[in-house]
Amino acid sequence: MSASLPDETIDPNAPVANMDYFMALEFKEAICPVVQRYTDGLLAGKIIGHRCPQCGLVYVPPRGYCPIDVLETTEEDEVELADRGIVTNYTVVTPVQYYGQEATEPFAKVSVLLDEPGGMLSLQDVLEVPVEQVRIGMRLEAVWVPESDRTVEEIGNRSWGSADGCILGWRATGEPDVSPDQFNDRVF
Amino acid sequence: MADIAIIGYSQSPSWREAELTEPQFLFPVISEAIDHAKIERREIGFTCAGSCDYLSGQTFAFVMNLEAVGAWPPISESHVEMDGAWALYEAWVRLQAGDIDTALVFGSGKSSPGNLSEIYPLQLDPYTLTPLGVDPASMAALQARALIDAGLVTEREMAQVVARNRRDAMNNPRAQVSGDFDEDALLAEPYLTAPLRKHDLPPISDGACAVILATADKARAVCERPVWIRGIDHRIEVHQPGMRDLTVSSSTQIAGKNAGVGNAPVDVAELCVSFSHEESVLRRALGLAENVKVNPSGGPLSANPLMAVGISRFAEAARQIAEQGAHRAIAHASSGQALQQNMVAVLEGD
Repeated sequence: MSASLPDETIDPNAPVANMDYFMALEFKEAICPVVQRYTDGLLAGKIIGHRCPQCGLVYVPPRGYCPIDVLETTEEDEVELADRGIVTNYTVVTPVQYYGQEATEPFAKVSVLLDEPGGMLSLQDVLEVPVEQVRIGMRLEAVWVPESDRTVEEIGNRSWGSADGCILGWRATGEPDVSPDQFNDRVF
Repeated sequence: MADIAIIGYSQSPSWREAELTEPQFLFPVISEAIDHAKIERREIGFTCAGSCDYLSGQTFAFVMNLEAVGAWPPISESHVEMDGAWALYEAWVRLQAGDIDTALVFGSGKSSPGNLSEIYPLQLDPYTLTPLGVDPASMAALQARALIDAGLVTEREMAQVVARNRRDAMNNPRAQVSGDFDEDALLAEPYLTAPLRKHDLPPISDGACAVILATADKARAVCERPVWIRGIDHRIEVHQPGMRDLTVSSSTQIAGKNAGVGNAPVDVAELCVSFSHEESVLRRALGLAENVKVNPSGGPLSANPLMAVGISRFAEAARQIAEQGAHRAIAHASSGQALQQNMVAVLEGD
């Protein structure tokens, strides 16, 4: 941490001054065993999730439990997932140039509902598609980082659906769009 | 005020660095507390959690903790950016309304991922104190020095508190630091921040604690040995530590009086003694007699899961009544620098 303070005597009648105070906090949390299985899978080109033995919902990355049925899930509930799916929700972010913001142009983050057996990857990047053409129902496929270049350093226990470092993003397959009506309960 | 009872509780072990995520280790703790209370999850009318996103290093981290609760179909819930003891207080207030009869409260935290001496100063005055990097050990050392200078505590007495807590913790399977330590050997250790040695500080811990509260009728219906909350109050000191007399804890004294600590003899007290000298301050503020056993669990000097360490005092005090034959116990929780905010509750068996 560091702070810069004015080094002159302050005139009590002067306008209120601003003080810049930049700081950084560093956190290091080891990957938990359930997420470790997920990151090992990504490095090998597989997307691994957990399927709740009660309701059948697939969670990716796996969390080690189903929050809806309040059941713990284990390696026995692991399923290998498809690397293709459809957009069920998206946000176009217009970057504001706050301190630390690196993006300058609008970009889209999409939720991808994977093909059977399912699973939802959130906050994914779309490649080669202008943001104004991103739409619900469009079919996408994963663009994997070449195996030798893959890394899971950016993936933490709390990263929602991130496959950063292993999946570069998702591109349109060119197949016809899917009607979004049947996916109304899978937008997140 | 209506009597509210503790009818169930559960605690995780205290880990130096938990392998699991916070929701993952909360999961069995909450389920065990519900089982312990012999109720069904759907009987819970209100849920309140205490945690701190600064510890996790992620905004809205507390929302993920709800995944351990079973929040579908939707439930009525709340969160305090405080120790779970304050979540318990909110639920105690909520139960006074009388329209619901059961509440789940919990506290959880992983202190291990971040640097606590950088995180803690962020709770202080951002102009005069945070830039100085005033961390808990520094504040505690100032308080210990003031107590020693005033002749209210000695370094030997502090070492005795540490040795006693670590010995008592040998009977606590959830404790992180325990063992038979000689006070002369402890006093031979070097200072970390004079007059504090490393053992005068609490361990860095990850962990969780959950408690089930119920109204009187509900408690009688489901619980053989309800632990009644006969009084509860919390008070806070002025924010600027330079304006305080660090040798006393006025907030604890007022909260203790309002909770009725002095109305009858006390068997046992679970106090949030995070630094060894604090026991002396709290004993005096609460007017505890010499024979009152303090922290039979080993206290925060043996297990210190931040955001769960205060509510753990309630669980441990309730355990003394429900399982160890005590009749009247004190639970105390603290928050902020040098005992800045204090909660005191009087618990009783039937």
